[in-house]
Amino acid sequence: MKLYIGGAWQGQDVLARQENPEGPFFEDFHETVRRAVLSEGQDPRVFAEDFCAAHPDAIVIANEVGAGVVPMAAEDRTFREAVGRALCVIAGKAETVTRCICGIGVRIK
Amino acid sequence: MILLVTGGSGCGKSTWAEKVVETMPKEKRIYVATMQVYDRESELRVARHRAQRADKGFETLECPKDLESAPIPEGSTVLLEDLVNLTANEMFDGGDPERIVPALKNLAVRSRHLILVTNDLFSDGITYSPSVQAYLRKLAEINRQAAEMADRVVEVVYSIPVILRDCRSQSCSMEHSMIKDSGISVKGEMP
Repeated sequence: MKLYIGGAWQGQDVLARQENPEGPFFEDFHETVRRAVLSEGQDPRVFAEDFCAAHPDAIVIANEVGAGVVPMAAEDRTFREAVGRALCVIAGKAETVTRCICGIGVRIK
Repeated sequence: MILLVTGGSGCGKSTWAEKVVETMPKEKRIYVATMQVYDRESELRVARHRAQRADKGFETLECPKDLESAPIPEGSTVLLEDLVNLTANEMFDGGDPERIVPALKNLAVRSRHLILVTNDLFSDGITYSPSVQAYLRKLAEINRQAAEMADRVVEVVYSIPVILRDCRSQSCSMEHSMIKDSGISVKGEMP
């Protein structure tokens, strides 16, 4: 498993494809977490652990979403927190974690 | 040399970029100011930036949009601050954001050194109104294109420069920019 993260539109998707042409890709994973937690009521850590077990070769691509003012809406707060918890699990299992900024990847794990 | 400087708000990007320029030729230092001054807060910010530039030999050119038409002499050392305002002005004040990247490319050819300052506005996870989303997306694209043009890309973190890419250190690939190298002083080796 490999994780590619970055702020919105920082090129993490392009870099993930360049470095892993075969995939399988799980893009916009923050939105996947949003659905699992907000629509289906799953626990973000359990969701992430199950995901890792089911997709050990996944190339996970996600946005970093936690670096702003605490959102006013409870749903946004839950979303932001859930993405953090889930991606901590994914990052823990991943062989590499790459953070993109301005299209440039920095390997942080 | 083309240098792109990014980072969060108030993290010392301007101050660091100006320090870099101080290591460069004294002749023809041009500061391209992009902020529209329309309220007290902008006035204060502009005043603070002007004070920072005092005695550093900068000629200031106000250029809130249409960079291509700015009368920047050939062979100048240009500090453009910043892409965030330039993009906002082009998008929301009757300009055209599509002319930014071509103008940057021309400016890069004409300049002796070009230092571009931008900002990292992309990690708060908030979905804004469609016009703001379009703006963020366009700015991210311009940032990526500027990074591609640049010899060096640096993220300033509370005054500490973290090199994201340095094409002059042979390896333009990502491996050299492991986080363990972050915070290394680049002041001594600039320009």
